[in-house]
Amino acid sequence: MLRLLFAALLLLLIGPGWAGAAETSAPSYQRHVTALFGKLGCNGGTCHGAVKGQNGFRLSMFGADPAGDHERLMHEYGGRRLNFSDPESSLLLLKATGQVPHGGGARLKAGSDEHRLLQAWITAGAPADDVAASRVTRLIVSPVEQVMQPGETYRVKVSAEFADGSTEDVTSLCLFESLDQAVATVDRAGVVTGVGVGDAGLIVRYRAQPAAARVLVPRRGASTFPKLVSSNFVDDRILAKLQRLNLLPAELCDDATFLRRVHLDVVGELPTPDEVRAFLADASAHKRAAMIEELLLRPGHADLWTLKFCDLLKAADFGVYADALSKEHDAPRMQAWVRARLNENIPYDEFVERILLATSREGRTMEEYVAEVNALFEGYAPGRPDLELYARRRTLDLFWQRRGSDGVKGTMQVAHAFLGLRIECAQCHRHPHDNWQQEDLLDFANLFMRVRTVGFSDKNEKLFPDAATHFKQMNEEAKRLEADVKQRKEGEGKKLEEDGRKARQEVDKLTAEIARLEKAKGDESDIAKKRELLAVAKEVQTQADNYRQETAARDKRAKQMVEAARRLMQAEARLLDKGENARVTSTLGSRESKTFRLLGEAEPVTVPADRDPRELVMGWMRKPGNPYFARAIVNRVWAHYFGRGIIDPPDNLSAFNPATHPELLKELCDGFIENKFDLRWLHRTILKSRTYQQSSTPAEGSATDRTHYAFFPMRRLPAEVLLDALNTATGTTENMDMKYHHWPDTMSTVQVPFMPQNKFVSFVLETYGRPQRNAAVQCDCERDNSGSIFHVLLLSNHPRVWEKIRDPAGRSARLIKATGDTASKIDDIFLATISRLPTDQERNRCVEFMTSAENPETALQDVLWCLINTREFLLQH
Amino acid sequence: MKRRDFLRIGGLGLCGVGALDLIRAQSLSASNNAKAKQMIVCWLGGGPPHLDMFDMKPESSEDYRGIFRPIDTTVPGLQVGELLPELAKRADKYTVIRSVTTMNKPGDHAQAPLYWLTGNPRLTTGSDEYPMYGSVVNKLRPGPNDLPTFVVLDEIDVHTHNALSRNFLGSAHAPFVMQPLKDKDAVTKMLTPQLELPAFARNTDLLKTLDTRLRRNDTQDEVIAGLDQYQQTAFNLLRSPKLRQALDISKEPTESIERFTRNKPAKARYPIGDPLHFLLARRLIEAGVPVVHFNLGYWDWHGENFTAGKQQIPMFDAGLAALLDDLDERGLLDSTIVLALGEMGRKPKIDKPKETGAGRDHWDYAQFVLAAGGGFNRGCIVGATDKHGEQVVDKFYKIESFGRTLYHLLGIDADTLVHTPANRPVKLIVEDAPIIKEAIL
Repeated sequence: MLRLLFAALLLLLIGPGWAGAAETSAPSYQRHVTALFGKLGCNGGTCHGAVKGQNGFRLSMFGADPAGDHERLMHEYGGRRLNFSDPESSLLLLKATGQVPHGGGARLKAGSDEHRLLQAWITAGAPADDVAASRVTRLIVSPVEQVMQPGETYRVKVSAEFADGSTEDVTSLCLFESLDQAVATVDRAGVVTGVGVGDAGLIVRYRAQPAAARVLVPRRGASTFPKLVSSNFVDDRILAKLQRLNLLPAELCDDATFLRRVHLDVVGELPTPDEVRAFLADASAHKRAAMIEELLLRPGHADLWTLKFCDLLKAADFGVYADALSKEHDAPRMQAWVRARLNENIPYDEFVERILLATSREGRTMEEYVAEVNALFEGYAPGRPDLELYARRRTLDLFWQRRGSDGVKGTMQVAHAFLGLRIECAQCHRHPHDNWQQEDLLDFANLFMRVRTVGFSDKNEKLFPDAATHFKQMNEEAKRLEADVKQRKEGEGKKLEEDGRKARQEVDKLTAEIARLEKAKGDESDIAKKRELLAVAKEVQTQADNYRQETAARDKRAKQMVEAARRLMQAEARLLDKGENARVTSTLGSRESKTFRLLGEAEPVTVPADRDPRELVMGWMRKPGNPYFARAIVNRVWAHYFGRGIIDPPDNLSAFNPATHPELLKELCDGFIENKFDLRWLHRTILKSRTYQQSSTPAEGSATDRTHYAFFPMRRLPAEVLLDALNTATGTTENMDMKYHHWPDTMSTVQVPFMPQNKFVSFVLETYGRPQRNAAVQCDCERDNSGSIFHVLLLSNHPRVWEKIRDPAGRSARLIKATGDTASKIDDIFLATISRLPTDQERNRCVEFMTSAENPETALQDVLWCLINTREFLLQH
Repeated sequence: MKRRDFLRIGGLGLCGVGALDLIRAQSLSASNNAKAKQMIVCWLGGGPPHLDMFDMKPESSEDYRGIFRPIDTTVPGLQVGELLPELAKRADKYTVIRSVTTMNKPGDHAQAPLYWLTGNPRLTTGSDEYPMYGSVVNKLRPGPNDLPTFVVLDEIDVHTHNALSRNFLGSAHAPFVMQPLKDKDAVTKMLTPQLELPAFARNTDLLKTLDTRLRRNDTQDEVIAGLDQYQQTAFNLLRSPKLRQALDISKEPTESIERFTRNKPAKARYPIGDPLHFLLARRLIEAGVPVVHFNLGYWDWHGENFTAGKQQIPMFDAGLAALLDDLDERGLLDSTIVLALGEMGRKPKIDKPKETGAGRDHWDYAQFVLAAGGGFNRGCIVGATDKHGEQVVDKFYKIESFGRTLYHLLGIDADTLVHTPANRPVKLIVEDAPIIKEAIL
């Protein structure tokens, strides 16, 4: 009582308005104190919000558990954190102000508003308050959008609405972040300063609640915006934004650049010198559009997008234990299935439906499915006939047969692959940069919990009696075959082997004798007799060979039968009658959910017992209003062509990662849906835009732009495309060295289903950042696009690259032998590498280089070396 | 007091670190003046037998202590196995740590190397791909611009091979993995010009005149902006004779080479690695390469532990002793950390002790680390195991402590935040742990 009186007295002395937040009451623990912990970074994951806290003091990450935090503040450490008789000497304040050593340094100044707030709260007895009443219902930032000049400043104002209906200005308790510091910065107090031309998202966070605003900094100076003809609505939107920012768009790129760009982006290949020449000579006004149409129908286009989808779908992560799945068998099958669908250009929603709702049996009888499994094993042979067989399946059951495709982890992957969401943080705690809570993930995961977990378990035979019957039959059949094989080898086979061996000797002997007699013009009848004997010996030999081959075939079949049975029993993708509750366990504890709810939806759904819950997910995804499904793919396709998404990174669709061109994204999505999820419509629309066909050279004053497409942004070629381009440019190929796994002799790097044995190829792929395609990483960024000195060393000095340049059957060797003068050879080598003709100056320089060299052959090799080491070769531009 | 008891109080007495020092250490934050500028890791992949090398238990029964006898060293109180006479003579140059172990969390050959060599519990799959120490040095404190910063000779580890070169800092920070002792090694060739230098110069001149088109907006994009710098560094490296000369051991006097190779067995039970990697490591350190790592053969001796020991331990003894001598003579030891360790120890209880195939199985609960130079104590023992050498009983430290100690000596703050691909901030060593104060100067 006394303490309360004292507190009230002190409050009167201090007066209201610490932070301008509260009015006359004591600071609220929920609204002010935990908010302040968040702002000061105390409860961040690398400080006291870490799993074990820091230096013995733990707070829940981002204040997710206010009651627990309060308890620890009040009672742990012998209650010394808060000192009610002498608030000043509370450890909390002494540490936070740095008056006693603090690992996190001084977080606030003594005497500051923030300091006074904490002091007043402790003085008031550090009361906790009602959690429900202080729940934030809305966070309002104003202004939501601000146009400003570099150097100008303004202050953001934030107010929070609470569940009890009250509203409060919480600006001083918020964290501020600018998503593009080259455009605008924001300080602790929420004061924004314009820095450079562009627009930047501002993220404001109050407690765990984020909100977004936008700052626009147009370029200074008057310039007449050119009157440009839009190709389509893409250009309308892009040009409108550029005009607003006073950024001039680049010119259209020249034909050679366009041809190279569109080849590399659409089919992943360089154009041939003849293709470049023909395109340059073509006088038709619609040649670009026609080229786009042609390329979209080439098999290379499906190959390139198969690569992209297989990255996304983690198409090489097979085989847990004794489930008869393997990367060698199944990665090429999954790839073949994806490629077949892309070749058919089936609507994207149907493509996803056939993946998401896949089952192994697809409603067929067990017998039919058994036949399929057997045929797949049979087809794992030269030519891989199983690939076509698998590609004819309606659904991609392999998606659910991969490692880690089930349960909560599998759900995160669905969210990442099809919805463009990164929700792995929500496994353990509230997502720090988004709205996702653990419940959101778990409730969504419940819709996938009925998908059976693939992998060996001795319970499977009991669980799936229908499969178990076949499993037993097949194993018995395999045993019979094995016994048969054994018998053949030991019984009749053994004798036949012996006969065959003798016959072979006999054949050799007789053949030699006959040859000798014929040469010596020996007795005709003797020769004829020997010929008869030879025929008999050969017959015996053939019989023995046939018998052995048959035995080997039966042996192989027996082994395959065991594998097929295992696959049937341990790996069939099927739906269970009932799923377990979705559950996560992390270092922060366990959590479980019984609710079925779609991501971002407020209300739970009920799933009829006779329906596949995944159907609800699919139905929700393909509804035109779905906030993620169409946007995720549209944004990813955009990112493929421009190196960045309209929302970037492209797999982080979030209200707190604002789009640079929201209207454009919406129009693209609407058009995509209207056109029945036609991927080619999407590609075509983007490719035909002026925006895509712009030069990579910026117009005057626009060079600083990075996000508004004032010019075509350059990016490094992806690993596979680069190696294919290197092969084409040098006129060489790489044998993947995978005959053992029945890969074809010729295969482009883009078509490679997993890391091949060829050491050079795998070195290039690793060095240039091909993703691992396993479930461990859920991020588009797994494809590493960065640069390093390895890249330079590889292209400029790897012995294999030099071998390619010097290959006696390669491009430079062929060119040197060809007719034509030096200048024409230089032209050819330019066309074959950087897909354009040299300028006069470049041509002269190269001709001079060649003629002054002792050896024109090596000089041409050197020119080729130079060209594959230019930026024009390495970059998409 | 018996010698064993004396040893058991361990590091404290021997290294003169009292309670006061330890308390002081706790309030120390990472220092900026790095003691270690360079580092060599001799990795004994598979797990060397601590009971036959640096944690002798002569008073154990025969089925534990094995056939190798302890010998005295220049450091009173420290005995080593009889197959290590050279290192025994040089015990005043290094520290033996007997109390850092993975405790099998995670352990085994698939994961323990990942843990030891990154300082974080990295898993084969399903965890973040934490970087090796050398990758971090490459990112935060790269060496001279005409040399690679992080070189791996042969391979990183005998079981996991080079899986550790992938790391979330990006492929730019992966080690240069090369096998310079093999004639046909493509990476070694890639690091030495494939053309005579004048021809290389002519080509780069021509390249300069042809590569002019896309240079206009260089500064705007990180990837593009980096190209020039990477090309510059790569070409510098090719033009510079430093690396080439370091790798060319034909310049090394025969008697010098002999010191490294003299105990190399003609025939061996297991792959033994190559003792010339000690020499190459020294030459690379002399040239200025900041971090050199090599795997020295196969130490996973489930069978024929004692046969393999007689073959491999003397080779290791001669090689490491020569390396320590050379570095010390050249004044490089004080600024170069030299480590010799594997991912585990071997089981004290011998498998089939009476038979010729007698072996020691996996043991993830005790092992040794030999650490010299770069701020590690000279002539010091840290920690102790129980009477059989099975469990740590004194000065237990986790791998995180070991990693933090290395970063401390290298002058890198182990709490530095780096970002995973999904943009989650993590510290270089995620878990907080005390540094091994007893082991360092």
